[in-house]
Amino acid sequence: MERGYPEYMLESIEFVKKTRERRLKEIPELMTLEEREEILRQYHPDYKEDGKRIVKVGANAGEFMPHEVADLIEAYPLIEPEQIDLSTIDYDSDILIIGAGGAGLTAALWAVSSGADINRILMVTKLRMGDSNSKMSQGGIQAADCEDDNPTLHYLDVLGGGHFTNDPDLVKWLVREAPMIIKWHEELGIMYDKDEEGCMFVAPGGGTCRKRMHSCKDYTGMEIVRVLMDEALNLDIPTLEFTSAVELLMDDAGKVAGAVLWDMEKEDYFIVRAKATLMATGGFGRLHVQEFATTNHYGATADGLVMANRVGARIIDMDSVQYHPTGSSYPEQIVGLLCTEKLRGRGAQPVNKYGEEFVYPLEPRDVESAAFIRECAKGNGLVTPTGMPGVWLDTPLIDILHGEGTIEKEFSAMFLKYARFDIDMTKDPIFVYPTLHFQNGGIVINKRTGVVGVEGLFASGETTGGVHGKNRLMGNSILDYCVYGRRMGIYATEYVKNATVGKLSLDHVTKYVDLLEEAGIPKERKAPILLPEYRGERTISHALPLLG
Amino acid sequence: MEEEAEKEKMVKVYIMGREFEVPATLNIVKAFEYAGYRFVRGIGCRGGYCGACATVYRFKDDYRLNFALACQKAVENNMYLTILPFMPAEKAIYDLNNLKPRGSVLLELYPEIARCVACNTCTKACPQELEVMDYVQAAIRGDIEEVSNLSFDCIQCGLCAMRCPAEIVPYNVGQLARRLYGKYIAPQAMHTHKRVEEIHACVFDEELDNYSLLAKEDVEKLKKIYVEREIKVG
Amino acid sequence: MKIPYFPGCSLKTIGEGFEKSAIASAAVLDIELNELPRWVCCGTVSSLTTDDLMHHLAPVRNLIRVQDLEETQLVTLCSVCYSTLKRSNTLVKNDPEKLKTMNQFMYRESDYQCNVKVLHFLELLREIGFDKIKEKIKKPLRGLTLSPYYGCLLVRPKEFGIDDPETPTILQALTKALGADVIDNPYQLKCCGSYHTVDKPNLVADLGYKILTYARNSGADALVLSCPLCAFNLDNRQREIKRQYPDFVEIPILYFTQLMALAFDLDEERLGFDIHYVDPVPLLKEKQLLIDSLPLIKEK
Repeated sequence: MERGYPEYMLESIEFVKKTRERRLKEIPELMTLEEREEILRQYHPDYKEDGKRIVKVGANAGEFMPHEVADLIEAYPLIEPEQIDLSTIDYDSDILIIGAGGAGLTAALWAVSSGADINRILMVTKLRMGDSNSKMSQGGIQAADCEDDNPTLHYLDVLGGGHFTNDPDLVKWLVREAPMIIKWHEELGIMYDKDEEGCMFVAPGGGTCRKRMHSCKDYTGMEIVRVLMDEALNLDIPTLEFTSAVELLMDDAGKVAGAVLWDMEKEDYFIVRAKATLMATGGFGRLHVQEFATTNHYGATADGLVMANRVGARIIDMDSVQYHPTGSSYPEQIVGLLCTEKLRGRGAQPVNKYGEEFVYPLEPRDVESAAFIRECAKGNGLVTPTGMPGVWLDTPLIDILHGEGTIEKEFSAMFLKYARFDIDMTKDPIFVYPTLHFQNGGIVINKRTGVVGVEGLFASGETTGGVHGKNRLMGNSILDYCVYGRRMGIYATEYVKNATVGKLSLDHVTKYVDLLEEAGIPKERKAPILLPEYRGERTISHALPLLG
Repeated sequence: MEEEAEKEKMVKVYIMGREFEVPATLNIVKAFEYAGYRFVRGIGCRGGYCGACATVYRFKDDYRLNFALACQKAVENNMYLTILPFMPAEKAIYDLNNLKPRGSVLLELYPEIARCVACNTCTKACPQELEVMDYVQAAIRGDIEEVSNLSFDCIQCGLCAMRCPAEIVPYNVGQLARRLYGKYIAPQAMHTHKRVEEIHACVFDEELDNYSLLAKEDVEKLKKIYVEREIKVG
Repeated sequence: MKIPYFPGCSLKTIGEGFEKSAIASAAVLDIELNELPRWVCCGTVSSLTTDDLMHHLAPVRNLIRVQDLEETQLVTLCSVCYSTLKRSNTLVKNDPEKLKTMNQFMYRESDYQCNVKVLHFLELLREIGFDKIKEKIKKPLRGLTLSPYYGCLLVRPKEFGIDDPETPTILQALTKALGADVIDNPYQLKCCGSYHTVDKPNLVADLGYKILTYARNSGADALVLSCPLCAFNLDNRQREIKRQYPDFVEIPILYFTQLMALAFDLDEERLGFDIHYVDPVPLLKEKQLLIDSLPLIKEK
């Protein structure tokens, strides 16, 4: 293999190689809680005053949010309520699931096994079934199921990682049900990494006090989601692909009662009436908060937050954004893509351009990211030919520590990703920088996934807030959508048994528009945005919708 | 200055036959977007995990057909590019609980695998560089474990199925094998089962409830417990 | 002596006992049968159309795998695999143009140089000499009367067969060397029904009835053969035979390698009798060729 780095980066790699032996023995110490707070305050993007503003309208009026999110909350609907004919119901269902990623699929499967009528479930997704951040998660899922571990330790880790801002009750169910999820996955045939006796292979993650990361090589999310999809297809759960929810419907009793769907290809709309509407719309990485690159999939545009907020759902902790410390920063073609935390869990160390360590490799993600940003601000990082900053992640250590071939076996996805660009991560370090990874906050839910203050609406997964507080630990996002996706399927099924739907209405949208006008929000700003816009400047500035 | 030159280097590509100049630092997906296209189909995670952007390309004056994930492939001069929006593929419907992990299950649910002539076209088409033909062959002889291991890195993009002259859908066969393996053949995690029993017996509830209470009423005390917890990750 | 061997799909499923007993018996004769790495299904039915090169890819790819090991011989156990591999080998040896086309198509493999020889295990035994096999016998198969059965592909067509296509003797010779008695069965070359077992089991039952009833009436205790497909049709289909012909009396089917393993007095688990439809164990016990500890058939 050729070495796919430019000359000046190769020169820096020589320093990294020289210090490797020494670094095997010397690892920087964990920060104290006070040190963590200090570095976050100084370097974490969340703490940049000009990165956020107070939103003027909606259920969260008066609270700080990043500009990119505020722009969605302070935005006009895509549809005008008077255009929409609510007298014809295209789909009459018990359960409408918006989103077919990890949370949506899990909810669908558990709704079925809880006795919901399959033919009265409708799952919709704006891309294909399974297309989601869930599918992209690499490192693993936490569950305290080993001898020297237990759910109470997991509990402490989740709260500590979230700086004690989490919803304590939501965390309890998260950690308590984690082992059951692993067992359920085993019954579905998910291939977790195990030894010959069936003992799970577990790794540590940033901020965990035990090794509790269960993995399927570095395809953990892919393996889980493809099995969930296979099961959904076997059960023939009614699904509409390339169909986006653009607005929730309410009934005359003030309950959420379905949604207006928009066909992404045919560009026409449908009306779904539903007794329960389940939000599984995922996160917001494609908003590129503070212009960060992202690990997220193409559809991660926070549509659920927008729609839920318009029916009165509160969202919390939106001022905190998770930047994953190790996004690819070179080569340009894969900038922003995730390099799993499990790499550090297995011994890879972050080092600067002189080959020196500057942070304990497994601090909670926000702290680790802040340390990376600080190191680059000090001038100890490098800048790629396309202007991307970053530091080294010394991956060859993994093979040194665990034997040759470990990387290719345990990180085959990562290995291939770099090999495609002539970088052999078993011999050379990889170049990384924090990347926008996860929406820590979101819609406020209770332990039964009911959206607080809104009847008929449920939510789970990345679109919700509270579980992770202001910072999520590695391996708890898959766990989150599994535990709360499952609960959403179960409790929504229970709810629809006695639920009724009244006359459908979009009055809440009309009222929201009035508020926007009062607040003087510019008319051209619209949401949800459904897909990000990456077309070249020339096309955007000269676009003419001549065909209507 | 060298960095500047690198930044501005452009290449000529042909998007569905039309000529465009795009920066050499782009991947195929970004090249389409740079040229003015907006994706709805043929795109997904943009990170090499979902298989939605699997595509074929050729170079001008070269007969050979190449395969890649558009989000993971750098553009090069004189590339002919396209997007592949969808691949119809047959998937067997089954209840895993009613299947037995016998080798013959794969042939029963996907009898067409017996039509494999070992031409290896599937393997050549795999953007994940898997030995697809080898796992189809393992499926024919009922070696579920081998199919599972060889197909594990599959992202189900469908290029193998699109290219197979015997009209086999290798990736669905792999999916079935892996689920059979995970459920029936791989050893069960007894420590997980044990923990689940303990949880059902409410062994941890008192302490969890106590922590929850502290989190609400005396967070400083909980912080102390957090800081003092023993860290055993070595 | 070490030699690459090609198991084929059937030996991994319905013909397990064939493979186990062959490997174990070969070891007694100082032959190490090494499973060919990354072997692919032989193609099962040899393409009779010589311009249909696609269907010759699988056999030739296997031969390339042998060449990559720097070996020049490939041993098979299954008669169908043997015939398919040998036919394709002959085709490309005689037609350099076709070989070139196939080599170009398989550009990821090394070019096939045509210097691999395909052998059936029986041929290898004949080369070693049945006398040498005799020397290794610990428990001669005395008192056992067997009806050898060849079917089609082991001896036909003539240019690919391992013995005289009309009056083969190799199985008789081996069986006698092992100490058993043989009877002549005029149906020893009769087709077993082959793939019709999938869509016309009744036809297969008709053929089997003739072959097996003749053997039984001539005093044979069991049939001996060398092909997992023949074995399936003549053993498992006895259920259908019995249904169609109420007078039919079941008769065990044995692979020649199982006979060798018996005569060499190898471990019971090397014999693989547990997946036979007609359990040979009672017969073998009666003839005192097996002791009592052998587990009974697990499932049918």
